[in-house]
Amino acid sequence: MDSQAVKRTGRWKSRITSELVGILGAGAVISAEDELIAYESDGLTGYRVKPLFVVLPSTAEEVSQVVKICNREKIPFVPRGAGTGLSGGALPNREGIVISLSRMNRILDVDIPNRVVVVEPGVVNISVTDAVSAEGFYYAPDPSSQIVCTIGGNVAENSGGVHCLKYGVTTNHVLGVEMVLPDGAVVTLGGPAPESLGYDLLSLVVGSEGLLGIVTKVFLRIIKKPQMVKTLFASFERIEDAGASVSAIISSGVIPAGMEIMDNLSINAVETTVGAGYPRDAGAILLVELDGPEAEVKTQVPAVSEILRENGAIEIKLAADESERQLFWKGRKSAFAAMGKISPGYYVQDGVIPRSTLAKVLGEIGELGRRYGLRVANVFHAGDGNLHPLVLYDPEVEGESEKAEELSGEILRVCVDVGGSITGEHGVGFDKKRFLPLMFNEQEIDTMNLVRCAFDEEGLCNPGKVFPTPRTCVEPGMKKQGPETTPAKEMGELF
Amino acid sequence: MVRSFEKKMSHVTELYKMVSNFHVPGSGDTDSGVPEFGFSPEVVLYPESVEEISRVLGFASQKGIRVFPFAGGTKLFLGNPVCSVGAALSLKRLGRVLFHEPSDMVSTVECGMEVREFQKAVGRENQLFPVDPPGLNSGATVGGLVSTNLCGPMSTRYGTCRELILGIRAVRADGEIINLGGKVVKNVAGYDIPKLMAGSLGTLCVLVEATFRLYPRQPSSRTLVLGFDNHVSCSQAARAIFAADVVPTCFEILDERLSSEFSAAPGAKRSVLLKFDSFEEAVIEQIKQVREITSGKSASFVEMGDEDSRKLWDSAREFPFLSGASFSSKLTLPVTASIEILSDIESNPALSGVTVRCLSRPARGVALVSVSGEGEEAVIAARFLENLADSLGGRIMFSGVRRELRERVKAWGDFGDALFLMKNIKRRFDPGNILPGEKIFDAD
Repeated sequence: MDSQAVKRTGRWKSRITSELVGILGAGAVISAEDELIAYESDGLTGYRVKPLFVVLPSTAEEVSQVVKICNREKIPFVPRGAGTGLSGGALPNREGIVISLSRMNRILDVDIPNRVVVVEPGVVNISVTDAVSAEGFYYAPDPSSQIVCTIGGNVAENSGGVHCLKYGVTTNHVLGVEMVLPDGAVVTLGGPAPESLGYDLLSLVVGSEGLLGIVTKVFLRIIKKPQMVKTLFASFERIEDAGASVSAIISSGVIPAGMEIMDNLSINAVETTVGAGYPRDAGAILLVELDGPEAEVKTQVPAVSEILRENGAIEIKLAADESERQLFWKGRKSAFAAMGKISPGYYVQDGVIPRSTLAKVLGEIGELGRRYGLRVANVFHAGDGNLHPLVLYDPEVEGESEKAEELSGEILRVCVDVGGSITGEHGVGFDKKRFLPLMFNEQEIDTMNLVRCAFDEEGLCNPGKVFPTPRTCVEPGMKKQGPETTPAKEMGELF
Repeated sequence: MVRSFEKKMSHVTELYKMVSNFHVPGSGDTDSGVPEFGFSPEVVLYPESVEEISRVLGFASQKGIRVFPFAGGTKLFLGNPVCSVGAALSLKRLGRVLFHEPSDMVSTVECGMEVREFQKAVGRENQLFPVDPPGLNSGATVGGLVSTNLCGPMSTRYGTCRELILGIRAVRADGEIINLGGKVVKNVAGYDIPKLMAGSLGTLCVLVEATFRLYPRQPSSRTLVLGFDNHVSCSQAARAIFAADVVPTCFEILDERLSSEFSAAPGAKRSVLLKFDSFEEAVIEQIKQVREITSGKSASFVEMGDEDSRKLWDSAREFPFLSGASFSSKLTLPVTASIEILSDIESNPALSGVTVRCLSRPARGVALVSVSGEGEEAVIAARFLENLADSLGGRIMFSGVRRELRERVKAWGDFGDALFLMKNIKRRFDPGNILPGEKIFDAD
């Protein structure tokens, strides 16, 4: 958003700096050009914008005061966690303030009997599990970046991970939030109770990509560690057979904790870098993790093994112990980083497809790769159809990065054409907002804007994200109503 | 005044032309599908397509005609009473399964379909739509299920339909047809408006279709009933079960009265009901574990037969709506509070003048409480429950409140900070309050 209404003079900037320093202290306000560089982008480094300021509040009250200044001065503001997002969701505005929540990183309460942990947004995802592990509990959503990404960012993006097939994504594990609304008011939605009444505002906030306010406290649901965990590894000659195994396993009545597929290119990238012991000549490998009560898992392991065999698995291995299990997963978790070793650049996508279309979609992705002359590696959360195609390219070759970006867009079109989505866990952000119309028409996007306007009438909170074109709240997005629309008198009094 | 009324009537008459079928109450013709609304619509419309609904709402919003959407009409007593309505809009003619891909375990269904029929349809593929709301066997529809977000004992394992809904097709108050969410189990493109619809009581849009995630049916199922002769041992056992390595599909605690009335554990002070669904070996092993961890705590331990089990879960599912009470309430609480609330209620003198029945669903932090009593004593009981929910960090909803109590016992407790945001949402979605906002929002 460009500031048309207010001229940002040097004197203005100086005045705002003083005001921010007065609230936060000098060490929590960054305005020097060289220090702002670190905040120019999130994990999607292709987009870079230097903000006016970065502030590092330590309390909800400080966040509120900063947001009130933003309102008064019509300054757009962008909340930021660890900056690991992959959709440009924390990309700054040139005339805006980045509000980093990294200093709000305390675990406020651990309530084992009620299975609730209360944290500030800057707490790193894995720290939640660390805090309750000794008691036999864990926090289920486990994005690949879980050792650095923060809960605030997870809430904004509704993050998933490899174990969300059975246990759900972030929205299934957030019981409540305290948040600073875009006008500076501090509100609490939900709380330690598992259920809520009335409109489900919490489900709007989780996954809102920082457009509805700034979350300053989160009530998280923790779950008991399963009594038994068993991980099966299977290799296949054809990736289609790995995909067919996934559907067959679920149809049999088994919901594994996670099911991950990697194709041949990914296998070889991983073997080159971390040596997870995957067979380099396999067309695909499938990891199946089963967890739950011991008696249940013990019954499931042979049943799943049989399904894998029936679907053409060449080799099936059951992790003998925890260290072998970790080795199986090491390759999968290193897959994105491994691409950096076999290609100077790669573009990661996040499309979702119905499981039943897996073979068709993988065929089409292969065909697109050939047409564009680029290699595409496939790593995906197979159980929920969440693909992460990695388009490999060389940024030094003129025009290749643009080709890679275009190819990525084509892959998303394929996902939508088979009834899927443009994003399963990375968010729309800045990067994919142009693809939102593939899924939704103008009226549907207008309807989403009704939600945004209910929270942020001024449109100052993380503008320029998610929505493909700027939308104001002046026109509510509803059809113009005629002169006879005055509601019945008693209805008009409702509000 | 008279002219204005006549004009509005003529506008309502226009609505007749927009749908395949309609019924005019009091016109002499009968329609057994019309429920007792508690208000008098001028017409009941039976659209047969989303386009007809779109035309109705587009016209109604232009002319200021209020529209009340309904389907089975089995939960009209939820929420505040509705004021004047021009047209009641039935979804009963929209009752088909539109899409079911077994290998994706996803299905799209029209909102007029009965939940039971939908379950039968997906059950033919050995799949499960795991929601068991009150009224399941007496006409509860998919639309009503989403609109009320009601659930039953199975919510312990599977959650409510909020956890299962993936996408919607709906008609906005201005008549626009919208499709939001999707047909895949993982999707973060845009705000999760399908979940917003769950529990909105038809106040935001008219829901026409919903897409749900399904689960596989489990091969074996068994029900256990544990009887206790005091609250303390029941509470200890419930906490131990909650902490154990078992995954019950259903887990409920009954007070003394319900233990007898449900024939669960007659004479017991408390009873715990458990249901396990899994492979046979896993079910047996989990029952064994429960026996071990509750050994010495429970006075009785009974594995129910199929027929008794079915009757028991039918009773638990339908409670509290069939109890003929003065009012019922649902308290949403932290987990431990939902276990202890039975003793909080039992021992309190504020409830001495009324008859109370209480069922707790600990894994969901839910307590269902019905109160039978007259006048002031019923009001005192309602106030007590409201304060109790508040003091325990929870919320409360009242339903089925007898007419003479409605002025003093409103449907909703305190929404806290959420209220003004909820009003903002309603105002944005339906600025003319064409859909019945008063179901949730008191006039103020």
